[in-house]
Amino acid sequence: MGEYEPTIIAFVCNWCTYTAADLAGTSRLTYPPNVRMIRMMCTGMVDPKYVIKALLEGADAILISGCHPGDCHYINGNYKARRRVKLLKEILPRFGFDERRLKLTWIGASEGVDFAKTIKEMVTEIKELGPNDVREQMVL
Amino acid sequence: MKKKIGSTLVVGSGISGIRSALDMAEQGYQVTLIDKEPHLGGVLTQLDYQFPTDHCGMCKMLPLVERDSSSQYCLRKGLFHENIDIMLSTELVAMEGEPGKFQVTLRQKSSIVDQERCIGCGECARVCPVEAPDPFNGGLTDRKAIYLPVPHNIPNAYVVDLDACTHCGECEKICPTHAIDFGKEERKKFRILVVDDELIVRDSLKEWLLDEGFDVDMAESGTEALEKMSKEHFHLKLLDIKMPGMDGVEVLKRAKEIRPDLPVVMMTAYATVETAVEAMKIGAHDYLMKPFDPDNLIPLIVNLYHDIQSAGVKEMEVGSVILAGGFDSYDPSTGKDTYGYGLFPNVVTSLQFERMVSGTGPNQGKILRPSDGKEVKKIAWFQCVGSRDQQADADFCSSACCMFAIKEALLAKEKSEGQIDTTIFYMDMRTFGKDFQRYRDRAEKESGVHFERSRVHSVETTGKDDGTLRVAYADTTGTKHEEDFDLVVLAAGQRPPTGAEEVAETCGVVLNPWGFCQVEGFSLSRTSSEGVLVGGSFSGLRDISESVIQASSASLEASRLIHSKGGGLAEEVSPETGFRDVSREMPQVLAVLCKCGGTLSESADFDEISSWLEAQGSVTGVHAIDSLCTHEGWDELKETLQGNSANRILIASCMPYVYARKLRELGRSAELNPELMEVVDIRTLAFPGRDTEKEAVHQEVRAVLSMGIGKLKGMDPLPVATSRIVQKALVVGGGIAGMTAGLAIADHGFEVTLVEKAAELGGNARTLHRTIEGHSPQELLEESISKVEKHPLIRTHTGAKIIYSQGHVGNFSTSIEKEDGQGETLDHGVTVLATGGIEAKTESYSYGESEAILTQHDLEEKLAEGGVEPANLKTVAMIQCVDSREEPRNYCSRICCQSALKNALFFKKQNPETDIYIFYRDMMSYGFMETYYSEARKAGVIFVPYDVGQKPEVSVEDGRPRLSALDPILGREWLLEPDLLVLSTGVVPDAGREVAEQFGVEVNQDGFYQEAESKWRPVDFIKEGVFMCGLAHSPRSIAESVAMAEAAAQRALRILNSDRLASGSVVAEVRHSLCALCERCVAFCPYEARHHDEDEEMIVVNELMCQGCGSCAAVCPNSASVLRGYRDQQVFEVIDAALENVV
Repeated sequence: MGEYEPTIIAFVCNWCTYTAADLAGTSRLTYPPNVRMIRMMCTGMVDPKYVIKALLEGADAILISGCHPGDCHYINGNYKARRRVKLLKEILPRFGFDERRLKLTWIGASEGVDFAKTIKEMVTEIKELGPNDVREQMVL
Repeated sequence: MKKKIGSTLVVGSGISGIRSALDMAEQGYQVTLIDKEPHLGGVLTQLDYQFPTDHCGMCKMLPLVERDSSSQYCLRKGLFHENIDIMLSTELVAMEGEPGKFQVTLRQKSSIVDQERCIGCGECARVCPVEAPDPFNGGLTDRKAIYLPVPHNIPNAYVVDLDACTHCGECEKICPTHAIDFGKEERKKFRILVVDDELIVRDSLKEWLLDEGFDVDMAESGTEALEKMSKEHFHLKLLDIKMPGMDGVEVLKRAKEIRPDLPVVMMTAYATVETAVEAMKIGAHDYLMKPFDPDNLIPLIVNLYHDIQSAGVKEMEVGSVILAGGFDSYDPSTGKDTYGYGLFPNVVTSLQFERMVSGTGPNQGKILRPSDGKEVKKIAWFQCVGSRDQQADADFCSSACCMFAIKEALLAKEKSEGQIDTTIFYMDMRTFGKDFQRYRDRAEKESGVHFERSRVHSVETTGKDDGTLRVAYADTTGTKHEEDFDLVVLAAGQRPPTGAEEVAETCGVVLNPWGFCQVEGFSLSRTSSEGVLVGGSFSGLRDISESVIQASSASLEASRLIHSKGGGLAEEVSPETGFRDVSREMPQVLAVLCKCGGTLSESADFDEISSWLEAQGSVTGVHAIDSLCTHEGWDELKETLQGNSANRILIASCMPYVYARKLRELGRSAELNPELMEVVDIRTLAFPGRDTEKEAVHQEVRAVLSMGIGKLKGMDPLPVATSRIVQKALVVGGGIAGMTAGLAIADHGFEVTLVEKAAELGGNARTLHRTIEGHSPQELLEESISKVEKHPLIRTHTGAKIIYSQGHVGNFSTSIEKEDGQGETLDHGVTVLATGGIEAKTESYSYGESEAILTQHDLEEKLAEGGVEPANLKTVAMIQCVDSREEPRNYCSRICCQSALKNALFFKKQNPETDIYIFYRDMMSYGFMETYYSEARKAGVIFVPYDVGQKPEVSVEDGRPRLSALDPILGREWLLEPDLLVLSTGVVPDAGREVAEQFGVEVNQDGFYQEAESKWRPVDFIKEGVFMCGLAHSPRSIAESVAMAEAAAQRALRILNSDRLASGSVVAEVRHSLCALCERCVAFCPYEARHHDEDEEMIVVNELMCQGCGSCAAVCPNSASVLRGYRDQQVFEVIDAALENVV
């Protein structure tokens, strides 16, 4: 086993970030293979329980990424996500999670470069933070 | 489902072409959408950012109802709709017939690469030895001769640039899927006849052509050639012009008689080029210059071969043709003043700059100097390059560049976190559109973009040879300045698209003096040829929202024509497809693995993946297919599914996007709901060359497959719901816009009720007597009123008002009070609000204190009544932007500058001695209106700019106005005692706020209706089923109001068209047993698709209005609100699958 490789669960919106990730793939931009992408219709539908569930199941970090403010295909879903993430970041420490394990970004459909960059940066950050060991500490 | 028979051809797949195509398709017509480029999307493929959000939002144009018939992903990536056939690299070459029944001939260029087989791996580009400037990046980067036209488009298949290609054949050899074929085998059957009197020419040509694999025959004279032609079949003739006896031109003439379809290429020495050009006029395909050099000649002939042989020709019948060819950008290097473009690398065009800030641009979005790659610190924008320039033969304004420049300056600020210094050098900042002025003000005041009204004198280097540019300019006072910049961006104007003349000739449409398509009368979409409509910038110079409006206006006219010819009346019933009911079966997944033509075996072991899949609980079968994207592969899959009991299909291949349409087909043939099929991308993960070990790749592939299975297992699709539609419309407002919209809907056979609060129809147009172009609004008015009154399907209520309205798309119920005080309740499926606007009242500039102080509207009335005698006027002054373009009315009213120009020109014509002064801030004579501005200046009208902080001052003495104003150019004060002082006070909405409340829709801060999206949905309210048009949306001219009314009618027709409409498959539902009626979901729904039914005590979802965003599901504290396809259990399964191998 080599260096610790974190696993990131990314909830990406169907319209912007999913397209950006696809563009990153087809443009052969390299980014670490640590991310598992879950396509949602909108970031506004990412239920906090999905985030907590993923962290409890062993994900080291969660990325929620959608359209830029003002660009949401569904008018204002990304604003709803923003509010929710702010609250979640306050709640997460009570579950024993470092709030840095949750990240919200806006990545537009044409921003494949930004997607690759975001993943790279996130992997570096989480490597510094170390593995998510809450699951082991918890008696479920 | 009922389908209309009727079809249309849309030429050009830019934003307006896409809008028109979608409009027609949503209405049920068959659409063929063609583009001469090998990609979809026009110029917008190059623009990543659009104001006002400075990002994109194009996907908002996709259908909102019946949305499963179309793609549900980023529209810049691609488009599919069941009723749209897209043909790229295709041109319209011939059109015959009559409106309603045209026979069109389309010609599709060969792309050499089989678009189906190409997997976009890029190996071909890697080995291609040819570098050519990449037009996608405005020539700032190079690409190979075989290339991807647009990096983000699908299908992302490569194409060959035959002009650059040397036919070395390297790509053909390396292609792993054998998708590239230069047709060498086929060439043996291609017979070329070489006709030349010189033996050496014949022999060398024969040798070279044989080497290339062609079949060659020769003739040494015209007579011999004609003889051979009459006996044998040839595909191409190379014909020398200068021959003893019968010369080439004569041979050509006779050859055309024997075999009119044989392409003839003339061969000529320099001296006879003119003859060659003449020969082309009488039917020669092309000409070649002697002396021949095989390196140049062979590619030319091979290109000709591809041109002649490989091009696909398709003939079809269509009811109408919509031209949406867009525009070309002006090339500054062709101008008299090039501003150093083409000479200094740091001078770029606005389009090139757009590429510089793009992530797919030359530096991944970093703004670096092209000369040395250093970071840019200071940028200058020069406006009106190749526009408003009579020397460049462009006495017009390109309309969009001002906003383009402001947006780019803001992007530069954003990308550099405010570090880049930005200056826009301009003549007039034309912020005439809705909300443009506030955008400009924010750029200036909040983001620090510097605006400099000036004339740029020159651009030079600093002499230090470091790439920095020195800009010399004169400010408004005439003072000269010099300033250094890292980058100069030229706002290059618009020009007619290449090939405009040919298209115009083919379709019989007239072009205007600048080569754009001429539109007729008060229509922005009708051309001189009936049945041929125009959309977007091909008729000149417009931004996205205006293009979208005009494109919809074009589709409305196209549809009206087809309908009037009977094409739209016939309905055919397509058999309803039934899917197998699998709801009571356990999930049985068939996994289909695409091996991508064997390319993935290097990095992944398919046997291992297969056996892992087989071990998964719900997987009942695994099937590997060599290449799923080919016909053979797809047929293999179809066969596999025949009789297979699997009720879920997992396809592991590449680009899930590409499959959207195919899955629907597959669903029909396998009688399985396509919602039960999922495509996951394993190719990106397993692609060779990715620096990852096999085991790591396997782990990723397994996770992705597992996630797909997880999602599929929980899929529980219900039959898509349909809702009844009341096929009637209500139009509120009986002005030009309201009447136009009403007529457009009624002409399609639907009942319309038109409600007008005034005693008579007509609105503002009643008081308008002529337009600047010389058209008569009164004629339009009379014609419209008479049509409305005579129309059997239109009921008009004048002197009536709206009392109350309720309901939703498809089913509205509105109560009105009629003139006689009686009430009536109307049921309707759609609502069009056209409540209009009025001239703003003012108290500024002593208005009301003197009879000589009038508004533009007062003047118009007085002129019509004969209350003003132009011959007696010595001095007339006009003040623009009265109370406008500053808070609280911080918007441009768009029409006042044309009114001022129109009236000034009228006075000058009546009495050239009258002195006319127009005090203005920015003359908003956008588009072709610019010519009237030029004309007014030529006629001696004096234009004096003023600053909003230093307005002219007016007082009244003895009933006469006195005006004083500072002239910044002369640096002195004007003191005038005009006989008439005319104030341009602009437009305010009439009854917007009140009516908006009644219909539950929004207005903006100025009281104009708030559209769902300013660019992509300009006539829709967020509330589906309610549309807006005319002055109630924003100030606009009559023609612009007409176009908007047609667009609103078009949007309404897509709903009225059938008696039932289907929602999407991804919609919300409520599990009532868990619901606590807290109504949070009702408040959270952005589409007002939910309401609390108090009688039934439940939350009800309107499935037609629900767009499937899932906000309600996320906000519901009891998990009672659920989004189909994204149930909690499903998402949890997917999360579990994603993390299966972790820990």
